[in-house]
Amino acid sequence: MNDGSTRDLLLHSWRGRFGLSVLGLFLFIAAFGSLLAPDDPDASSTEVLAPPSTSHLLGTTEQGSDVLSQLLVGAQVSIVVGFAAALISAVLGSVVGLAGGYYGGWTDRILDALENWFLVIPTLPLMIVLARLLDPSLTVLIVVIGLTSWAGTGRIVRAQVLTLRERSFVERARALGASDTYIIRKHVLPNTLPLIFANTVLIIAVAILSEAALSFLGLGDPTRISWGTMLESAFSSGAPSAGAWWYVIPPGLCISLLVLAVTLIGFLFEEHINPRLREAT
Amino acid sequence: MSDLLEVGDLHVHHGKRPIVDGVDLALARGEALGLAGESGCGKTTTALALMKLLPASLEQSGRVTLRLEGAEEPINIEKRTEAGMQLVRWRHISLIFQGAMNSLDPVQRIERQFAEAIRLHEPEARSDDVRERIAELLRTVGLTPGLGRRYAHQLSGGQRQRVMIALALACRPSLVIADEPTTALDVVMQAQVLQLLERLREELGLALILISHDLGVLAETCDRIAVMYAGRIVESGPVERVFATPQHPYTKLLLDSLPVIGGERGLAPPIPGGPPDPSDPPPGCRFNPRCPFAAERCSAEDPALREVAPWQAAACHFAPWSEWPATTGAEAGSAR
Amino acid sequence: MSGRWLAGKTLAALLTLVFVIIFNFFLFRVMGDPTTQLARLPNASPEEIAKLRADYGIDKPLPSQFLDYAGDIVRLDLGISQRSREPVWEEIKDALPWTLLLVGTGTLLATLIGSWMGVIAATNRGKTTDDGLLSFSLFTYASPEYWIGIILILLFAVAIPILPAGQQVTPGIEFTSWFAEALDVAEHLILPATAMTLMLLGQYFLIMRSSMVDVLTEDFITVKRATGMRWDRVVRRHAVPNALLPLVTLSAIQFGTVVGGAITIETIFSWPGLGELSFNAINDKDFPVLQGTFLVFSAGVILANLIADILYFFLDPRVQSR
Repeated sequence: MNDGSTRDLLLHSWRGRFGLSVLGLFLFIAAFGSLLAPDDPDASSTEVLAPPSTSHLLGTTEQGSDVLSQLLVGAQVSIVVGFAAALISAVLGSVVGLAGGYYGGWTDRILDALENWFLVIPTLPLMIVLARLLDPSLTVLIVVIGLTSWAGTGRIVRAQVLTLRERSFVERARALGASDTYIIRKHVLPNTLPLIFANTVLIIAVAILSEAALSFLGLGDPTRISWGTMLESAFSSGAPSAGAWWYVIPPGLCISLLVLAVTLIGFLFEEHINPRLREAT
Repeated sequence: MSDLLEVGDLHVHHGKRPIVDGVDLALARGEALGLAGESGCGKTTTALALMKLLPASLEQSGRVTLRLEGAEEPINIEKRTEAGMQLVRWRHISLIFQGAMNSLDPVQRIERQFAEAIRLHEPEARSDDVRERIAELLRTVGLTPGLGRRYAHQLSGGQRQRVMIALALACRPSLVIADEPTTALDVVMQAQVLQLLERLREELGLALILISHDLGVLAETCDRIAVMYAGRIVESGPVERVFATPQHPYTKLLLDSLPVIGGERGLAPPIPGGPPDPSDPPPGCRFNPRCPFAAERCSAEDPALREVAPWQAAACHFAPWSEWPATTGAEAGSAR
Repeated sequence: MSGRWLAGKTLAALLTLVFVIIFNFFLFRVMGDPTTQLARLPNASPEEIAKLRADYGIDKPLPSQFLDYAGDIVRLDLGISQRSREPVWEEIKDALPWTLLLVGTGTLLATLIGSWMGVIAATNRGKTTDDGLLSFSLFTYASPEYWIGIILILLFAVAIPILPAGQQVTPGIEFTSWFAEALDVAEHLILPATAMTLMLLGQYFLIMRSSMVDVLTEDFITVKRATGMRWDRVVRRHAVPNALLPLVTLSAIQFGTVVGGAITIETIFSWPGLGELSFNAINDKDFPVLQGTFLVFSAGVILANLIADILYFFLDPRVQSR
């Protein structure tokens, strides 16, 4: 996927540059957040809900912790959960889409029905129900989000495989006696991977929002700070009514910017993929 | 008697790129003019320019004058504003689009779209009059008036084309422009539609500009023909003369590629090469790279359109051609 | 013909709902034996647990458990809330109208405003208006709706205290007429509905914009212009109606998002709907309520999809000829 034209596309539009730089910034913060943080994010103090000052650039929380430090450290959860859950979703969706599209028949019918079910069912309630049954942790979040977001990828992959199956090069390969795995590996997959990739980037955005929502509702990992848990603490401690804007605005802003960056990159990939798809080898 | 339509030095640009590069046309009342040429030569753009229907990204310049019968003042289309054009469109000039597949609003009944067009120009018309007119229009094109209650997707391709013809006549214009009206139809339908156009012309005294890449279609219906190449007219004249004695190599090659029943067997060779890039035209005559009769002069001087025979004009240095040299496999650039 | 198609779609919807019920059943009976979850409540003695098991019918074989469960659902017996000891259905019944009010207002406003923005953007494609609207919509699309809700509270309930920050009515006031009460509810509805509208706006805008852009390239639009029609009329009478059709089907995909937004926005504003019910149930680990709301949410989305299908059927004459 690193051909020159993709790189050009990303770097030549201001949207691509914005997306890449913001994403890069957050990846950096996720990696080095704890080193960059001026204070220990868990350290409480008596300065409760204090507005920004020289000692606390973004003020303090209801426990007197430094907001900026929490913000920097919280990036990690969003990035890790977002990417990991999207990966699971991509793998699951691709396998289901490939199996159904390629083998057809009853396999396809069952998998397609399963896919449609997951597409219709409202995602957040489903995630809530699954997450509440288990003990909250990052792994649980990743698994729950991944298990509920795969259907979109599945449908796209299935449609693509169905188109490819009818193409002459697949029939030729079969006539020459190639096995299914070979055909899938050599012909179907290369033509489907760009599609999966573009779609997965958009799923990353959805996964980040989902983690934030679940954390906000109290289903996040209580041992980790994330932007979602920051919003949860802020809300439940009455920060909005107290007018503590320094506590409330930054976490949500970070979520918005990160999701926006990933979405812009995802849209660019999609635009790029679409015309190229028609000239599959 | 002055002409109905006079087009002088029409230019259409997309930024720096010329699409129509200096076109002059004249059309008398009730006359049928054929506009021929390969796709991309500017025929459709010329047609849209006559009604000022080009998208905002294209700039148009040049005179387009409409002299209606009984009108004191001619209509200077190039000077008209959008509001002014809305009075001219459909009422005096109407258009039959290329491929009637999508020319009607899919979610409205056909008669409603007729009524809308009529009411745009005759807002005080009474409902029963309008209904009667619509029925009459449909009958004129050989359709039952009941079809008006239907939606576009419920009609066949041929029926849809007839509906578009009927719609084009709804406000009784003096000029109808038909852009590739028979391209999407089979041969039988094609003949029917052409016959219909011919009949309507006679009955209503309509002037017609017929655009087609198919010379056979133009031969049947038109009085005069103009051949376009790379945004310009390269030959024009009465249809019989141009077909019998073409005066431009491009016309000659186009005619050669028409299969003739009873003539020699075998496919005539297609004209090699393609139309030039409008932003970077070849020096001299624009056709010279593909012309089997090109000489040195052709790449140095750009020939102007001039009268080379009675009523016939061509843009070629070596016109008038009394006879055409033999061509075997049409080599470009071979000296005369 | 249309009757058959309608029956088919309704059947498919019912089948989807049945699978939701099966899913619900397996999730809670098989995956997490509710009594062990219940047993996390302090001071549950073994006898009480045994009684609970008998009450919930867990000692019976699985298939008959499911039939019991399904039978209960049909009779609208969704169990008893662990927190309030009230029937779940009663709590849902009380909360549902509030959620419908919030979601209905938000969806209506988002559709109207979003579509209108989409038409403007499409007819001004490439210009600054278009870019501006696109950027605005992308930002609201990327922002968590509960965060937008909090900001609205900060701005309009705290910084400039003109609107209430939560609940559906001002507590403690006696209303002289239903009209006065309705007005009070409306005042409380403003901020949550705004949050919901902003959340959905971006999606409706993007759909309408792309739909309009597609329609404007069609031949019949040029033909309408050629008949001497003013451009604003061409857009209004011919482009927009055709562009609305895909909007109906595509927006059906958003219904799940609407539900998610209802949960988080109601939480922020203490709006007494199904969302807040769910939120409290999460904190209390009240599984019967969670199960019940999940069922109702799913049924709502399935129903909304069915309505969208039916609506499209009546709007597009091309579909009716099938």
